Amino acid sequence: MSSLRHVGTSPPRPEGGDKVGGRARYIHDITVPGMLHGAIRYSDHAHARIRRIDTSRAEALPGVRAVITAFNTPEIIIGFMGDNPVLKKDKVRQFRDELAAVAAEDAETARAAAELIEVEYEPLPGVFSVEEALAEGAPLIHETDRRGKPLSSNRLPLIFGHDSGDLAAGETAAAFVAEGSFSTPLIQQSCMGTAGALAEFDSNGNLTITAKTQIPFLAQRDFTKAMASLGLKGCSVRVVVPTLGGGFGTGLDTHVYEYISILLAWRTGKPVRVLYNREQEFAYLSPRQSTESRVRQGCDKQGRLTFRSVEVVQDNGAYASWGATYPSVMLLPTTSLYRVPAVRFRSDIVYTNNTYCQAMRGYGNPEVTLGIESTLDELAELSGIDPLEIRRINCNQPGEVTPMGLKVGTCGLAECLDRAGERSAWSEKRGQGRATSRGIGISSLIHVGGGGKIYRSDGSGIILKLDDYGVVHVNYGGVEMGQGLHSAISLMVADGLGVKPSSVIVNQTDTATCPWDVGTHASRGAFMAGNAALKACAKLRARLFEWAPRVYGDLVAENIKRARRRDGDFDPGFTEELLAKLTPGQFELLDGELFPHGETGLPPLEDAPWLKVDLGRFLRAVHFPRAGGAGTVFTEEAFYEPATELPDWEKGYGNMSASYTYGCQAIEVEVDQETGQVTVLKLVSALDVGRVLNPQTLKGQVYGGIAQGLGYALYEEVKTEGGRVLNPGFTDYKLPTASEMAFPIELEFVETDDASGPFGAKGVGEPGLVPTAPAMANAIQDAIGVRIRDLPITPEKILDALAARDGA
Amino acid sequence: MTTLTYQRPTSLREALETGGSDGARFVSGGTDLMVQRRSGRSGTENLVSLRRVEELAGIDWKNDQLRIGAAVPLAGIGADQRIARDFPALAQAIAALGSVQIRNVATLGGNLCNASPAADTAPALLAYEARIEIANTGGTRTVGLDEFFTGPGSTVLQPGELLTAILLDARQSAGSAFMRLGRVRMDLAIASAAALVEIEDNRCTHARVAVGAVAPTPLRLSAVEEILEGKAPDGPTLAKAQAAVDALISPISDLRASARHRRRITPVLVARALEAAISMATGDAQ
Repeated sequence: MSSLRHVGTSPPRPEGGDKVGGRARYIHDITVPGMLHGAIRYSDHAHARIRRIDTSRAEALPGVRAVITAFNTPEIIIGFMGDNPVLKKDKVRQFRDELAAVAAEDAETARAAAELIEVEYEPLPGVFSVEEALAEGAPLIHETDRRGKPLSSNRLPLIFGHDSGDLAAGETAAAFVAEGSFSTPLIQQSCMGTAGALAEFDSNGNLTITAKTQIPFLAQRDFTKAMASLGLKGCSVRVVVPTLGGGFGTGLDTHVYEYISILLAWRTGKPVRVLYNREQEFAYLSPRQSTESRVRQGCDKQGRLTFRSVEVVQDNGAYASWGATYPSVMLLPTTSLYRVPAVRFRSDIVYTNNTYCQAMRGYGNPEVTLGIESTLDELAELSGIDPLEIRRINCNQPGEVTPMGLKVGTCGLAECLDRAGERSAWSEKRGQGRATSRGIGISSLIHVGGGGKIYRSDGSGIILKLDDYGVVHVNYGGVEMGQGLHSAISLMVADGLGVKPSSVIVNQTDTATCPWDVGTHASRGAFMAGNAALKACAKLRARLFEWAPRVYGDLVAENIKRARRRDGDFDPGFTEELLAKLTPGQFELLDGELFPHGETGLPPLEDAPWLKVDLGRFLRAVHFPRAGGAGTVFTEEAFYEPATELPDWEKGYGNMSASYTYGCQAIEVEVDQETGQVTVLKLVSALDVGRVLNPQTLKGQVYGGIAQGLGYALYEEVKTEGGRVLNPGFTDYKLPTASEMAFPIELEFVETDDASGPFGAKGVGEPGLVPTAPAMANAIQDAIGVRIRDLPITPEKILDALAARDGA
Repeated sequence: MTTLTYQRPTSLREALETGGSDGARFVSGGTDLMVQRRSGRSGTENLVSLRRVEELAGIDWKNDQLRIGAAVPLAGIGADQRIARDFPALAQAIAALGSVQIRNVATLGGNLCNASPAADTAPALLAYEARIEIANTGGTRTVGLDEFFTGPGSTVLQPGELLTAILLDARQSAGSAFMRLGRVRMDLAIASAAALVEIEDNRCTHARVAVGAVAPTPLRLSAVEEILEGKAPDGPTLAKAQAAVDALISPISDLRASARHRRRITPVLVARALEAAISMATGDAQ
């Protein structure tokens, strides 16, 4: 590594101009010659047996090239539980179940044909809540598992639990106990760029799919499995990632619409693109899971936590995506947010006939942090300790090992609490605003900051290729989806190798050119890319310096000759023998210039600028040696695998990340007690990020997280009735806009310089969203004395709670 | 493939002739109609644009009488200094409606003809006792806005008839205000209220109150006006006025809010609109 020149600065993002100028190519912009348009026919029932599918009218429509159903197409079953057939044959389990698909010459014809498909059903009773699904004699959504073994319950056979310490002793030791039931809603990730895929086969049966994914290599694995069903075993699958308008977890699984584009392309021999518009995205793409949780914790008279118990039930919907495994991340705050000697965690994940759910930013963390941070405020009130103080009393410490076995390296939570307390004027404001319905609340967070091992490898590969002009081309398998990954990579490679950020080009993510990466999730992108890049940079520098002594002397001699041409009396002040004595260890590369350093006997660089050799010139000299003989080119790869553990999920134990990100948010609000409206007056965020890589991009990540957190806290909810989405669009699904964000946001970054991170950095992708809702609930409680435990905190719920308190 | 015809008449006569044909529908900004078309709630395939019709394009004053052409974009009305001074509740309603982009194309005539119970400009215009000028091939007629709406999405306009202008009389000594609540700032109103009062010698001599989104149509609250007129505009009077609101409205429960919630907040909005109007009226008198 060379010195830190670019890390910590805010040059514009490399892809920013193209996005603003309309040059970036999203899936909607990509068309290829001969491309057909796909459309999907979805179910008319939430739960029904399929009696008959008649596609004759659709097939007869001019412009239609293929109509596929489970009855004329090989079976492909997706999902990590193997519970989701791409085309449904026996029954439908949710309104968005795919019955048939059409490829046509234009999108409108494809849609019209899909509507012409006639389906006969035998309706079945549905279950639309966890209670209904778990009731005695409830209809089974899946009668058998993937191996055909009969199932007896709608409970998914996924066990996530945890028991540590002596819970009974913790209860006994508690002077105060707080307990509550909390619920969080189904919400939409609301990516600005909606979903889509374009599949095409070459004449050898090799597939290229351009897909809106965060997991190109796991997707390649899934699609390769599907190729076998099409009789294309041994053919290659190439996944290309276009510009993404947001991911937020929607790209963590492969989706039925992607397989449909593959099936239609395979059937027609033409490229086929399937796109979702906004309404389809709301109706047919998986949202965030809704949860109900029961949280109970206690503390002694000094405010020290003595035990904690968290039980969660998730309405999973009809099929299992990776989102079913939210409890894997719920374990983090449950076991490791503050120091708790005895912890119990239980989770139930339940099939219903509601829309099936998937991952979203935070992945279970905000769901349980709400209950933990709300009951912690209640403990503060019971014990008479200030809420900020009770958090300090129980604060995590650097170097501790938590009940889950998390090895906490650096931990800046104490400093975050101090800074947030100061910037929010906590001590002046807390408990002082009741007369004016103003209040302030705080919540902390823990999240993985050094990857999150949930798969057999949590690794990342990278290839750095130098061209003849000193430009570094980076092939990295992770995904830029708007978060600023490419900016972080360009800064880290610039400093890691010794070039300018503008000389670092991060190529499009493509499984054909990039080495394997598990996926861009768990806030791991910049952390993994940076560590892999630093390994590759070290190898590249070693090879460059190894070659340097062979050509450097000649290149400097040329510099001197040029100087003499300008000035006949020019004297470099040293003999050229000194240049010939340089060894590989005596070279340095900085901002694309190679020069000697250390005890070389040569004059200092500022007196002898002719000692600097442009990297491109050096590379050409090495590539095409003047003395003849074989030259070389420079390409280096590295694979970084963090030293972490795949946890034992039933025990909830294992050090799943190389570092942990801590932080907190304090929110000041005013509540209108007549209308229930909440106005945010100020928000302070303090986050232990390890090291700031690009201040502007980092702020963007946190602002964006806060905006989503605000939506989660106050506004957003996908409403369903009998399994049908009632508000599929922004008319009745409300996101905060600039008007709702028109309050001061102050960001504090604590740099703890974690040894595991590239330049000391930790992952920061998700944390911004995690503490916002609990801080809001705590602030509203401080303002008006009522606690809302059910998100979103709408004016209606506030007025209901005030009326209940006043006995109206 | 479906086809859509789109015609752009330039005069009122031409518009009335084109719009009178079968299946034709007038469109102005299109901010409601195009959304309805895309979601399949309107099957209209024959659109007659009013954007180039000269007679619908102006804002004209004659002394204290204001005539706003039906196809004037809301942004143009919102930017008019004299309208902001003489009809502040209308300016406030326009400022609350949609986004800058929406206000640049949406029109006042369109907001009224769409006849949403939640139309933001309607309560303000009701409080100003706006009259609506309607043209057909036979001539023009004028109706009070309080007679214009007949139900959600329906008005007294007959097929082929066109709302040409909104007519308003400024009351120089009045104070007026508009209040609304949505789930977020950019939302359809879950309830709205407008109020206009004139105060002489600490006595309310004239009061107009209207609400939106809490009945099948935007609604004048005459019973509330009667409570106010002739009384001192003080706390007890306002409390009486606020208490009278509940019996006059008939809100529904929908995705935006429950009827119960609308019943709780509408009286509050009425009271706040009245307070703001009174404060403006008495401020002017000083």
